[in-house]
Amino acid sequence: MIRYLALIIALIALPFPAAAHKVIFAIFKSGDSIEGELGFSNGDMSAGTTIQVLDAQGVQIGEAVTDRDGFFIFTPTEPIPHVFKADMGAGHVAEATMPANEIAEILGVAAIEETLSQQAPAGTAETAAQVTVASLSNEERLAIAEAVRDEMRPLRRELAAYREKNDLQTVLGGIGYIFGLFGLYFYIAARRRMAGQ
Amino acid sequence: MHIVDGALSNSVVIAGTVLAVGGVAMGLKRLSLERIPATGILSASFFVASLIHVPIGPSSVHLILNGLAGLILGWAAFPALFVGLLLQTVFFGFGGLTVLGVNALNIAGPAVLTWLLFGKLVERSSPTTGAIWAGVGGAFAIAATTCLVAFSLMLTGDAFIPAAKLVFFAHIPVMVIEALLTGTAVYLVRKVRPDLFSAIKGAAH
Repeated sequence: MIRYLALIIALIALPFPAAAHKVIFAIFKSGDSIEGELGFSNGDMSAGTTIQVLDAQGVQIGEAVTDRDGFFIFTPTEPIPHVFKADMGAGHVAEATMPANEIAEILGVAAIEETLSQQAPAGTAETAAQVTVASLSNEERLAIAEAVRDEMRPLRRELAAYREKNDLQTVLGGIGYIFGLFGLYFYIAARRRMAGQ
Repeated sequence: MHIVDGALSNSVVIAGTVLAVGGVAMGLKRLSLERIPATGILSASFFVASLIHVPIGPSSVHLILNGLAGLILGWAAFPALFVGLLLQTVFFGFGGLTVLGVNALNIAGPAVLTWLLFGKLVERSSPTTGAIWAGVGGAFAIAATTCLVAFSLMLTGDAFIPAAKLVFFAHIPVMVIEALLTGTAVYLVRKVRPDLFSAIKGAAH
């Protein structure tokens, strides 16, 4: 029995990397649009996948296509909840929802940008003078927001990858659960047999 | 191999769950006291085996070991693989809770089928021939699982042939590895503990 156990232990102790075949789908606000990322938890990103954008009732309001890195951008036009659906085939589907209030915030940013672009031709000297007085212009605020987003992107990706990491503790915990469950069943079965005798 | 939540229609999920519950009940009924430790160990092996990834081209696939579980456990492979799947869902988010029944059926069904088809052959023949049959069984279990996954997807609307092809060809390397692993494992078990198969089977009846 010991040799048999050794065989099984050798089998389960084979080196196991952390990756798993799980779909990762994340959407986040990005200035005047919604940015998203689609891929597998083993690091493969999903390129060229069509993302359906639906409203709360399931009516299609648009679509987006992922680029080489699994990134996609969608610009909302109405402050309603947006449901993003991705189907990568072979049973790999994912869904994410952005609530109406976040969409409204995005539209708010878009409105600011629009007024800025309309104002732009009119007297640049005037705006430059304002900047020195006011703490931050809307234009600068948008530029800073964009810079921060760019800096945050790798961090966010790393965080997502870290969350998907299967560490040894979890694996050992799972094995412990399995042995515990079968031990419990063994106990119940043994009691039943003892009672039967 | 793990179908995720939301990929299948409700009727497929319900049918799969009902069949899986039946399989687990059948397995527990056949599970005698003597087989419980072996069932637990194979359940743990399956749980960990799915974390071993074999990189293939742009994607990667993982081992399943359902053929081995089926050959050693017979019907008891159902509860063993079900428990493994449940914990994978809870701990790692593989698959999903609603599709647990379908996944259990897709993985444990071929395990039982392998046992029905090759179990007797493995038991009766010499260790070497038995190992070859076990290897064939290991590859067969994976092939059957890919077909069942494609079938589940087809019932929900995907075209069967392209889906099946995709999953099947991606898993050819896994079939080879599983065949070798199952063959070697059965050979070793027969060599170091020849009474394991007969003892387990004997206790079952």
